[in-house]
Amino acid sequence: MTLNSLFRNVTAAAALLVSVSASAADDKVVIYNWSEYIPDGVLEEFTEETGIEVEYNTYESNEVMYSKIKIQGATGYDVIVPSSYYISKMSREGLLADIDQSKLTNLKHLDKSLLNKDYDKGNQHSIPYTWGSTGIGINTDDIDKSSISSWKDLWDAKWQNSLLLTDDVREVFQMALAINGHSANTRDAGEIKQAYELLQKLMPNVLTFNSDAPREPYMAGDVSLGMIWNGEVIMAQEEMPEIDYIYPSEGVILWVDSFAIPANAEHKDAAHQFINFMLRPEIAARTVDYIGYATPNKDALELLDEETRNNPTIFPSQAIINRGEFQEDVGDEATALYNDYWEKLKAGM
Amino acid sequence: MTAFFANLNFRKLVITLTVSWLGIFVLLPHLMVVGTSFLTPDSDNFAIWPITLNNYRQVLSETYAGVFWDSLVLSGITTVIALLIGYPFAYLLSRMGKATRAILLFMMVIPFWTNSLIRIYAIKMLLGKKGIFNTVLVGSGIVDKPLQLLYTDFAVIFGLVYILLPFMVLPLMASFDKLDQSLIEAGKDLGANAFNRFRNIILPLTMPGVVAGCLIVFLPAMGMFYVADLLGGAKSLLLGNIIKNQFLVTRDWPFGSAFSVFLIVLMGALLWLYYKANQYVQKKGGMDDQNL
Amino acid sequence: MTRIFNSGLLKWGFIGLVFLYLYLPMAVLVTNSFNKSKYGHKWSGFSLKWYEELWDNDAMMQAFGHSLLIAALAATAATLIGTLMALAIHRYKFPLKNATSSLLFVLMMSPDIVLAITFLIIFIALGIQLGFWSLLIAHITFCLPFVVITVYAQMKSLDPNILEAAQDLGASEARIFRVIILPIMAPAVLAGWLLSFTLSLDDVIISSFVTGPGFEILPIRVFSMVKVGVSPEVNALATVLLVMSLTLVAVTTYLINKGKTLNDSE
Repeated sequence: MTLNSLFRNVTAAAALLVSVSASAADDKVVIYNWSEYIPDGVLEEFTEETGIEVEYNTYESNEVMYSKIKIQGATGYDVIVPSSYYISKMSREGLLADIDQSKLTNLKHLDKSLLNKDYDKGNQHSIPYTWGSTGIGINTDDIDKSSISSWKDLWDAKWQNSLLLTDDVREVFQMALAINGHSANTRDAGEIKQAYELLQKLMPNVLTFNSDAPREPYMAGDVSLGMIWNGEVIMAQEEMPEIDYIYPSEGVILWVDSFAIPANAEHKDAAHQFINFMLRPEIAARTVDYIGYATPNKDALELLDEETRNNPTIFPSQAIINRGEFQEDVGDEATALYNDYWEKLKAGM
Repeated sequence: MTAFFANLNFRKLVITLTVSWLGIFVLLPHLMVVGTSFLTPDSDNFAIWPITLNNYRQVLSETYAGVFWDSLVLSGITTVIALLIGYPFAYLLSRMGKATRAILLFMMVIPFWTNSLIRIYAIKMLLGKKGIFNTVLVGSGIVDKPLQLLYTDFAVIFGLVYILLPFMVLPLMASFDKLDQSLIEAGKDLGANAFNRFRNIILPLTMPGVVAGCLIVFLPAMGMFYVADLLGGAKSLLLGNIIKNQFLVTRDWPFGSAFSVFLIVLMGALLWLYYKANQYVQKKGGMDDQNL
Repeated sequence: MTRIFNSGLLKWGFIGLVFLYLYLPMAVLVTNSFNKSKYGHKWSGFSLKWYEELWDNDAMMQAFGHSLLIAALAATAATLIGTLMALAIHRYKFPLKNATSSLLFVLMMSPDIVLAITFLIIFIALGIQLGFWSLLIAHITFCLPFVVITVYAQMKSLDPNILEAAQDLGASEARIFRVIILPIMAPAVLAGWLLSFTLSLDDVIISSFVTGPGFEILPIRVFSMVKVGVSPEVNALATVLLVMSLTLVAVTTYLINKGKTLNDSE
């Protein structure tokens, strides 16, 4: 091949590519979600019904999602699923688009008590998708379930080099703060420091950090005790019923993940259609079945079978909810402090 | 098209292309990183004035000294193990017939053509409590409970050596190739036993290969943090993790930049050491024509 | 003592062990790609269903296609530009020559994570949207030093007399390059292309920083799947990649040897 023809071919290929990649029309929606957070088949059904093509990307932490959105100038993705404390931060910084509730005909199915929360008054920027908790995961074949009942139990020296913790700074700190009797959303430097000192003592017990699929090390047999998200336990129980979930006595970590639309998203209309689709009771019920997290969709509850509806791992009692605490934004200064200690802990200090 | 090239001063075109591509996509960005390392972090705008040395002060602080040390030790152990395996391997290969050698070398390089992530995944499967290693160990009665192999330093080193071994073997092979067999023969004739032949002839002459191999393993090992993430349980912060975290999670770009600059300087220092070691080896060996 | 060390048993035993180390993980993957059971702890029968699932996994296949595309384009562009760079360094004198060599060296030695950041910063500064083009430019750039080294090493063996003769006969620079230099360099250029292709396909760190939502590539997809746990589709993917690489290397080696014999016979 001569240099000339090579040059021509390359230019042609490049031109073709540009035209293909630039043809992103309005019949497309780009979703950025936590890994394994949407039931199989739902995306295909959405495309079949609406003709809107779905592009799906995943992340494993709010921080990474936030950074990507920030770096790209709140565009590129059309639907994101931040946790509550990131909703307040991102809307403060103008990174979220206003949600046109008139386009969300299925909004009426949601439980009013989960709407209009402090982190997003009037739900201008977010619509709750799921809510869940982070508690203690245990392999009941390896460890006697009755011997573990609190976060503090994880500090026992006999668990050296064997625990799993979620790779999430706020969640891990919430454990220590709860043990010390402080709020999970404290901005007090003294209280945060005390939590850090308590966590220093926990580090020798940690085998691995995992926020991609915390159930995986449990299922592979490498871990029998540690933190885990409640939905992960439900998913694990399909193959290994000996994996179980414990609500710690100091109070479980509660969180809400919501749909949001980045401020400069290209396909806002498709985004609204997608959110509306996900708000259907049948879809919400399937979500509970598949990913094991509770839904704010009250009409979906009726569609669930009794066993699921009464499963305490998915739907904790009101008493447990009251003892636990929902995560909220703590402001930039405290966040930086938490991050600082987190890095120290990971660096082995 | 031919005319186009001939008329447009070809030479100028080539030079301009070279300089501008490297200038825009290599020089400028690196300068910007250096520049950013002197700025102040800001949660909204990534980096703002004023200029400060704070970031470098942070790099040199206690927290990170431990991280540096951990990364150095991990990479060091990886390099030593790769050397211990690679050196005899290269030696044995170099003594084989051309055809056999070509085949064996080819076979060694084949895994290299597969995506390294997938290979790490394979190792993860291998080392898990329910993986093959443990199944064999327990099944044959060597141990009665499966060992914790995954999420340990052992797993990380296993993975790093696995990926980087070919990089150790290739320069060593090149070195052994250049080994003049007649020198070894001469040694034998003069009565030196195998050990002395090795120590006084073979080892010094293959030193350049050893040093090159070590460098080509050590440097990448310092940066391959995803191996530590996947096989080590994301427990220890290595240099690469810190930089990644600073840019994507903590969003302290100036600090991340300072750290990067530090890393580059560190690499530079190691390379300078290599250069000096090479010179020393050549002088000592007295082989000035050994252009390795 | 010498006899024992030289004994075939020890020699081949050691080599065998090393190859066992290198191939065991791959062998397990390939075997399990045909294993009906998901977990691969035991063999439950031969099955091609993971290959089917891989084929059906649209997101994965799309990422695969993107990666191949980027690798091919980046390798080609890097080979083009890199060869010209090698030419410039070898043949021409220009003021920034030393700077150029140094920059290429820095490029090669910088750890991936640092390079990733430099690319991120420059793309943001230049306002290049993260996606296909940022990815392509980044890949071309980090492949360059490897092409340059490979080609440059071969260039040193060019007979300067031939080039001088051509110049005396009035051939233009472009012509000399096209008609004399390039054909002789063919094996090195090809090797450079192959190396770039492999590096591009394998890159994880840089790509995860500079790619955007519209253009997902394989290593990132695999990274997500690997972190999530057991994914038999990854086994099938690994086998496919292995076969692909083997074919590629075999074809290239054949071409290089063919080129060599042609050269020798001249």
